[in-house]
Amino acid sequence: MKRPLIYLHPAGGVRPTPVLEKLKPHQPVFPGFDGTATLPGLNSRRGLGKWVGEFIDRQIGQPCDVIGCSFGGAVALWLAIQRPELVDHLVLECPAGLQTIDAKLRADPAEFRKALFVHPEKALPVSKTKEVEAEIRRMLTHYGAEDGRDSELIERVAEVKSQTLILHGTEDRIIGRQSVQLLRSRLPRSFLVYVWDAAHNIEVDQPERMLGLVGAFLERSDAFVVPRG
Amino acid sequence: MAGRETQAASTLKFSFFHLMPYTDAEASAEWPVPNRGFDAQKAHGYYRAYIDAMIHAEECGFDWVGCNEHHFSPYGLMANCNVIGGALAYATRRIRIAMMGNLVPLNNPVRIAEEYAMLDCMSGGRLIAGLMRGIPHEYIAYNVNPDESWSRQREAIELILRCWTEPEPFGWQGEHFTFPQVSIWPKPLQKPHPPLVISASSLESARFAGEMRATMGMVLISDLAMAKECIAVYREAARKAGWQPKPENILIGMHTVIAETDSQAISSLREAKRYFDQVLMGGPRTAGRLVLQKSRYYQEAGSAERMRERLAKREAATLEQQIEGGMIFCGSPESVVRQIRRVHGELGNGVFNFTMKVGNLPDAAVKRGMELFRDRVLPEVKDL
Repeated sequence: MKRPLIYLHPAGGVRPTPVLEKLKPHQPVFPGFDGTATLPGLNSRRGLGKWVGEFIDRQIGQPCDVIGCSFGGAVALWLAIQRPELVDHLVLECPAGLQTIDAKLRADPAEFRKALFVHPEKALPVSKTKEVEAEIRRMLTHYGAEDGRDSELIERVAEVKSQTLILHGTEDRIIGRQSVQLLRSRLPRSFLVYVWDAAHNIEVDQPERMLGLVGAFLERSDAFVVPRG
Repeated sequence: MAGRETQAASTLKFSFFHLMPYTDAEASAEWPVPNRGFDAQKAHGYYRAYIDAMIHAEECGFDWVGCNEHHFSPYGLMANCNVIGGALAYATRRIRIAMMGNLVPLNNPVRIAEEYAMLDCMSGGRLIAGLMRGIPHEYIAYNVNPDESWSRQREAIELILRCWTEPEPFGWQGEHFTFPQVSIWPKPLQKPHPPLVISASSLESARFAGEMRATMGMVLISDLAMAKECIAVYREAARKAGWQPKPENILIGMHTVIAETDSQAISSLREAKRYFDQVLMGGPRTAGRLVLQKSRYYQEAGSAERMRERLAKREAATLEQQIEGGMIFCGSPESVVRQIRRVHGELGNGVFNFTMKVGNLPDAAVKRGMELFRDRVLPEVKDL
């Protein structure tokens, strides 16, 4: 039986991508993103992980498969650490939290946007007001994630016991390869896969490759490495 | 000096490269070249003689011994040059084993990474890892679309580098290659990986070699001006990629025949080159023409035309014009010293790759040429 699927969004908020259109996951919006209000006392990625657990309890009521993208990847890891019983299979798409993001890149919004995609022409249009976009940008600071690194997460990441698929674009300049290598070394039940010709936003750059991988992993678990007959 | 190992401490490096030709074939312009006349007993003898010569290169002061991969013709009997590399690894002690190399777009990149890592470990870290795109006709042999040669080359090289350097098992989801999980045993001895050589006989391939921080290998030059242009493009690409090539990052390939006198060398080469041009190149020339007509093997505007012009120029030139033009080295030791100095002075390269078994040149003449190189050429040029 197919398990419910939940998608934890990146720091840019919820955006349509071909992968999400196909998978149709639950997409909780983190408080403060996309025009929602922040919640008192909720100001860390660890806290967001707990908040997502409560969302699953309330809205789904059973263990889920979880995809976490970038900022959402760090939240997904915190969810799996704090509420392991809720996470069946975990997919981490270029997850943040394990390494400081290059300061030069962070300081240059135009360059940062360029670093998101190899194929920006594939991105679907996004309709968010300037005010909402500006508020979203403030959320990194609000959640203590400005430089990307979460020291406590690094210390505790080995507690994640879910079967995990880690995806990284070969052209990703935002999340370095060391991040995903570190994760692979610390998560005993993990697989790392590089996606060729993709930057940080694998969903946009290579949707077919990502869908193929994620679909096989969620359907066949660790047997996704066996070629289909 | 014969019979003892000459320690190579030269600044300028020399590579003894072997094509391993079949030297008793009939002329044929067919593709593939029919193998009905192939004589395995003769091949047994060729392999013995050729591998002996390659081992002897160490005693003759060469820094590298070079192998490469070709298919479906008497042009070369090294369908898998790593097999020859294995034979050389234990029979030599100092010389670097230069695979120039595996044809990356045509093969399984993980297999290349594994076999190169084996050779590096077996040889004690003496591998030079050539990652070649191949010449057009090889694509017909292995039924790979020549239009994809560049995209396959780029992806395969990146995958090979990750096979060698990733600290954890990983998977690869690519355009041409997909591997659910990879974790090669062994990994190379040289860290982070063996030095790379990438063919760079056209402007687009020279640019790619610079981008990849590899040594550029020019194995076919039609004139020194063209070679200079490729080197300039390579240097510029390297600069943009954040590094500066040294002379040893520029390899120039030359047919090289050395004899006691100029006239002996020219006479030997004339005969041998006839076999090379008329027999060995027959089938490959036909296949190459088909590929260039029917595919986008050369993707940059004008590249295919430039390559055709270069080949035509090479073929139209007399032997004397080729020597004068710096396309080949041929003559007495003193003449070859002058030729090497001139080309090196013009191009600033740090490695020469000598093909001394040209066409059907007798093996005894090749061996004599190698010894003349050791005794009378190398001492004059090693410190250039």
